Amino acid sequence: MKPSAAVIAMALGALLLGGCAQYDSKRGVEVNWQDTVTTQLVNGQSTRRDVLALLGPPSQVIALDGESALYYLFERSQGKGLILLVYNRMQIDTRYDRAIFFFDQDDVLTEFATRLYPTDEG
Amino acid sequence: MKVFCAALTCCLLSACTQWHYDLGAPLDNVALPPENTSLAEALQLLGPPLRMSATDHGFVLAWEHWNIREQSLGFSLGAMGADFLSADWGDMRVKGDFLLLTFNEHRLLTSATRSTWDNDGGGGQSIQPFFNFVSVVDADDLTESMPQHHWGSYLLQSLPGTLNESSSLDSGRGGLQQRGTPSAVGQQSLRMD
Repeated sequence: MKPSAAVIAMALGALLLGGCAQYDSKRGVEVNWQDTVTTQLVNGQSTRRDVLALLGPPSQVIALDGESALYYLFERSQGKGLILLVYNRMQIDTRYDRAIFFFDQDDVLTEFATRLYPTDEG
Repeated sequence: MKVFCAALTCCLLSACTQWHYDLGAPLDNVALPPENTSLAEALQLLGPPLRMSATDHGFVLAWEHWNIREQSLGFSLGAMGADFLSADWGDMRVKGDFLLLTFNEHRLLTSATRSTWDNDGGGGQSIQPFFNFVSVVDADDLTESMPQHHWGSYLLQSLPGTLNESSSLDSGRGGLQQRGTPSAVGQQSLRMD
């Protein structure tokens, strides 16, 4: 039985059909811990109230035996994919922008650190 | 024509899919700080940790980087209108780094450990009728989002879960664990949820 031209055309079309995909996924709190903001914070002087006023509610509050820590996290995933039906490839890169602030028992800031990745780095 | 059709059919019968995950920033070039390093110095060197938990006499901080490569190959007659049988093969490779730093109540480093791995993450083969009931490669527990995103919701679980929140590994008070830790062993096995 010979395949009709339509069947061959469909099969060939399916073979040649290619696609691509791209997506962004963003989870977490709004990033407010740029250097221009955190320069307003001083270890030993700023308080938890100051940090909350500048950065808003954190992702997590951690109790440390009388002391405490505020943790801010923004998770960004960037994916790109090649879809060729017979071969498909997806690459997903996830980076974590984050900031952590430690306070003593009087709610005074003792240490903090921040990390921001460039948005185009993925 | 027959050869052409046979080659075309073979092409349509199989498909290969690869998933590559890169979670976090590489830690290859990061040196472990020496004992008695202050918290401030450690944070300056490594940045904010990705995981953190209080301990009885201080706290632990952890940094991690995961690289997961998942690939699968499937054969099916679906494209030819006969999707009654499919054969699948899958494999996963897992590479990663994990840094764990322990600080005492004076915020001085008491221990620093590093774990690096490049392992086979499992895989499988299957022949399944009509539907793919079983996935031959499962990376879900390795690619899940960070626990900090769910922190507030821990108090909104059913009563047994809420009562055990303080010992949850994701609460920041009950210790921490790496991705992919089996749930049937260790502290998780004691959870009532």
